[in-house]
Amino acid sequence: MIGAQPVPDTLAAQAASLFRAFRAGDESKMGDLVALLTPILWHTARAQRLDSQTAEDVVQTTWLALVRGSESIADPQAVLQWLIVSARREAWRVVKRTDRVEPREFEADDVVSPPRDLPEELVLRRDGDSRLWQHIAQLTARCQELLRVIAFADRPDYAAVAESLGMPVGSIGPTRGRCLAKLRQLLAGDPAWEL
Amino acid sequence: MTMPDDSSLDELAAGVIDDADARILAAVANLYSTLDPVPINLIERIQFGVTLDALHAELADLQRSHTLAGVRSDDAGAQTVTFTSSSLTAMVTITETSADSARLDGWITPGGVAVVELRTVSSVLSTEADVDGRFVFAEVARGLVQLTIRTPGSERAVITPSMEI
Repeated sequence: MIGAQPVPDTLAAQAASLFRAFRAGDESKMGDLVALLTPILWHTARAQRLDSQTAEDVVQTTWLALVRGSESIADPQAVLQWLIVSARREAWRVVKRTDRVEPREFEADDVVSPPRDLPEELVLRRDGDSRLWQHIAQLTARCQELLRVIAFADRPDYAAVAESLGMPVGSIGPTRGRCLAKLRQLLAGDPAWEL
Repeated sequence: MTMPDDSSLDELAAGVIDDADARILAAVANLYSTLDPVPINLIERIQFGVTLDALHAELADLQRSHTLAGVRSDDAGAQTVTFTSSSLTAMVTITETSADSARLDGWITPGGVAVVELRTVSSVLSTEADVDGRFVFAEVARGLVQLTIRTPGSERAVITPSMEI
């Protein structure tokens, strides 16, 4: 007989525990935290339409801000949210400063963004990828951002992550919310996609 | 046409996330990881830059001179990076001198003698800026670097984000 498996910690919980250990003096834990959360911060920054190099700088600045402000962060449990909020703010600050990408406020949720071509540089190797991309491209920019970032978190963290992206309560978690529901509906209507 | 669609969307939106949703989101994560992966050296670069020195120094803002999206630093023979802090601005031109080394020419304003340290993965190089604020590192191994600038009379050093040269 094997007992029930322990529930693995969510991304936010793992991050909180590494951050606590760092604050308690275990400096090596910052490197682990960077490895754990840089992917979700990368996608947070890239969802703001930054070019790749600018997004790299934004993510690094966000981490430096965490190290420098680590004592002032009131709730270590919310370190993931703190980082996502900071990365978005930094992205917007850089956009304003450099005008490097076209600053564009997100459309209202009910306005569908114009269909976009597949990014030039990418080659989607699998048919499933390119179909999924075409469905995602029909969502609003705001929904695309939400789902892109959420996809790198764990289910119990969805609501908190959505909140740090500035989405209204109920956007996702514990219920689907409209963005995920819309994508699911599109996929359900695609005979080539198995839900 | 759209009415039944909308109401079924509302119903779907109000439903609790299930395993089919989890599979969709896993596919979304997989897609973005394929389309737009985290750059290979980014985690390493950040781990290099996030040192305890950064705690006490003033952090300079990094601005790159070229603005074309998708232009990689190694496509060009030279690139200029500007670091700005509240007390100084440092403009650094990086010129590739060989496949594995580069030359850094820096100019700090306001000018004045300063100690400039360049940390690489394997060593720390040090030089002084002259009265005009100019400094040179003639040969630096390419890879991750981070600059620290100390000016006499200023309590805090200025540290830059790490970057790949």
